[in-house]
Amino acid sequence: MAQATSRPESRRDASDVVVETRNLSKVYRDFWGRSKKTALKPLDLDVRRGEIFGLLGPNGAGKTTTLKLLLGLIFPTSGEALVFGRAATDVSKNERIGYLPEESYLYKFLDAEETLDFYGRLFGLDPEERRRRAAALIEMVGLTRDRKRQLREYSKGMTRRIGVAQALINDPELVILDEPTSGLDPIGTREMKDLIIDLKARGKTVIMCSHLLADVEDVCDRIAVLHQGELKELGRVEDLLRVTGVTQIQATGLSPAAAAEVKALLERHGAADIDIGNPRTTLEDLFLEVVRDTEARPGRRARRTESAAPRAE
Amino acid sequence: MVLEQEIPRFASWIGLAVLQYLAAAGVAAFVAALLTWLAQAVGNGPLAGGDRVYRGVLAGLADILATSPRRVWALARLAIQESLRRNVLVVLAMFALILLFAGWFLDPASVDPRRLYVGFILAATNLLVCLVTLVLAVFSLPADIKSRAIQTVTTKPVRTAEIVLGRIVGFATVGTCLLAIMGLAGWAFVVRSVSHGHVLDAADVFDVTDGEGAVSGAEGRTSLDRGHRHRVVLDGRGGGVAETAHGHRHRITVTGTAGSGERTYAVGAPLGLLEARRPLRGRLRFLDREGRPAIKGISVGAEWSYRQFIEGGTAAAAIWTFEGVTPERFPDGLPLEMIVRVFRTYKGNIEDGIHGTIQVRNPTSSLRSESLPIVAREHTIDSLLIPRRINTVMADGSLREVDLFADLVSDGRIEVWLQCLEPAQYYGVAQADFYLRSGDGSFAVNYAKSCLGIWYSMLICTALGVMFSTFLSGPVALVAALSTLLVGQFRDFIARLFTSQVTGDASIVPGGGPIESLYRIVTQTSITLELDPTPAVQVMKVLDTVLLAPMRLAASIFPSLASLGTSDFVAGGFDIPGDLLAAHGAETFGYVLACFIAGVFCLKAREVAS
Repeated sequence: MAQATSRPESRRDASDVVVETRNLSKVYRDFWGRSKKTALKPLDLDVRRGEIFGLLGPNGAGKTTTLKLLLGLIFPTSGEALVFGRAATDVSKNERIGYLPEESYLYKFLDAEETLDFYGRLFGLDPEERRRRAAALIEMVGLTRDRKRQLREYSKGMTRRIGVAQALINDPELVILDEPTSGLDPIGTREMKDLIIDLKARGKTVIMCSHLLADVEDVCDRIAVLHQGELKELGRVEDLLRVTGVTQIQATGLSPAAAAEVKALLERHGAADIDIGNPRTTLEDLFLEVVRDTEARPGRRARRTESAAPRAE
Repeated sequence: MVLEQEIPRFASWIGLAVLQYLAAAGVAAFVAALLTWLAQAVGNGPLAGGDRVYRGVLAGLADILATSPRRVWALARLAIQESLRRNVLVVLAMFALILLFAGWFLDPASVDPRRLYVGFILAATNLLVCLVTLVLAVFSLPADIKSRAIQTVTTKPVRTAEIVLGRIVGFATVGTCLLAIMGLAGWAFVVRSVSHGHVLDAADVFDVTDGEGAVSGAEGRTSLDRGHRHRVVLDGRGGGVAETAHGHRHRITVTGTAGSGERTYAVGAPLGLLEARRPLRGRLRFLDREGRPAIKGISVGAEWSYRQFIEGGTAAAAIWTFEGVTPERFPDGLPLEMIVRVFRTYKGNIEDGIHGTIQVRNPTSSLRSESLPIVAREHTIDSLLIPRRINTVMADGSLREVDLFADLVSDGRIEVWLQCLEPAQYYGVAQADFYLRSGDGSFAVNYAKSCLGIWYSMLICTALGVMFSTFLSGPVALVAALSTLLVGQFRDFIARLFTSQVTGDASIVPGGGPIESLYRIVTQTSITLELDPTPAVQVMKVLDTVLLAPMRLAASIFPSLASLGTSDFVAGGFDIPGDLLAAHGAETFGYVLACFIAGVFCLKAREVAS
């Protein structure tokens, strides 16, 4: 049991809680009912309205199992999962949910428009509304030119995009994303992360799971770390990642002499392990800058900005 | 055609049948719930297990009741799109190939081309449509579960009932469209294939003179086409008919006079080939050789007891009592049609047929008409028009002309007596073999009705396939569905095992139930030998009685597609009765509903994402 460490650090109004699990566990059994694998040990979680919640963990940690339990795709061995205050197996909750599965499991014989039309019909949208939303979403995910091609002809990235579009066809309040950046190139990854942040800005609640730490770090407000089906850590990202006991100073326009002076000053005040140098950018930022520059000046070698220049230690 | 069982009026049995259906459904539901509870109790304890079963049943029922037609249609459209993208229309090309081969290999010169063509085309249509929809149905849902596409559907506000019903509706729609196209093409093929003409040359026509040497008409024969020719009988003005051959006749008209002064004739389209007779059938009883009432006729040793025989040259008679006989319905007299089989104890003149008589009698006053001679020819439907004015035999043996409806029909009832005149020869008849032809329906409509029977079969195949696919993988579901249909084909045979073939009594099980049968096999005791009523035998019989009830139920639970087939009616030239179509429709609805509900609970109990 992980309740001791997993209780939310502060309780808000109950109406603010979108997802709630209590002692939720899942054991996969074989045909004869023998225990095959404990996928999730008793889990207590609250996800609040308007936040981006990340489930983090290595492969087989129980992230996807948790999402499937929340969606009612599988049944809990014990405990309960409530979404919008209703049991996870209650179909009516799905009216307010958008779900992007791990591999965008869609019908390959449909094209993009047919796909969104089909899912729109499942939500009972009228024809005009379906057409309007489908066109907007296809444009949003950048598949306008490929909207008439069957999904079997799509690349993995394109399939992912149409998967996102189908997850948003009902303008959901809660968006559940399973490995949302899986299979996407860096540009797609960035767009996906921007989309997630945009969803939050529009008041949506997002639950995502990923084993790509950078993705989770970039977008999530709170995270839960799962390992071997057990909740190991839960809290706000900034709190969990803050390294106490180390002070970071950043400045621009500092000359080498001034830097040496700052270092001396710090040493005089008893600071240890002083490191003065240029910060590193991320490879993602570097890649995106190169691509954007290439698109802006085709045929030229990429021009680097100072912020993206390699660090001089 | 063979009609082993009378077709009861739909309204007379449907109420009781619905009650029996509900009772059987209740028992099946209870057994299923009990088994589920036992399985749940093993893992979760009896109380928690019971709670889960209770919640599951409630959720399933709520699912079914909250089914949304819009979402069902959305899922049905998906099934249709899936079928089209899987190139289901290729089956139409296959059907075209079948028609092509049928055109080559079926012999239009056969004795009964209508039976040949209609039987073959309807059988091919039935097979293709049912097989295609079954294959589509069994592989669709397992493929969705395997590809996990089902996860993006079940995470929408879609109920399990809608998934199951959507698939049934979708694939049934595909099957319906295929059936409509095949039915239309098949009908056109049959009509085109059996239609033919003959030529009547003046050289083949000879004048017929009366006793005074005056020309009273002409006779002749048509050209040989499609393996047959017709004897032609013409009246004095040249018009007439080409008499029945190969189950049809033609009308002959004079079209003019040739330069040589000889008449030219036109032979019309075949009559009676593409027809849908509407028979008014009577109830059959027998008199034995002494003229005493008998339950059955004579068995001539045939295993199939459908036809009973009457002995020639004796007082034995087969008597049909027809009801609802009115002058409004039969203004020109009674058009009696009959199929009389013959059993010969000596060969005699094989070309001549066996002679017999027909009489009509008033069932109340016993006033009877004079005997009308008939000659029984095997394998043909003979017709006899009993006129409105007919001679009756008075007590003194004299004849008196009476009105058929005024004197021989009593309260709409009339009896038709058949007797065989030749000693030591036998007539074989069944109840359905004599009928009054009360009108004709359209062949095209009748063909469409037969396609409706195929549609029923297709619906059952689809529902069965979808039901099995909710808990089995595609290939296994296909095998399960085919096995179920195969057992269903033997449903009547299995049911007969419970009925005494000697007495026809359904309460006497020959050889006893399973335990008694086993005992008899082990001890090599004949089924005709009564066992001593020892306490052990009594216990055995009681246990058998208990065991036989579910066995009877199980034997009748499998759907029999053969029993839904009505192609025999079309091939035999009979109109398919509305009561029969309604009965088949009700049976189909029962199976589809049962498959739907079973499918919902099976899929609901399944973790589609595990």
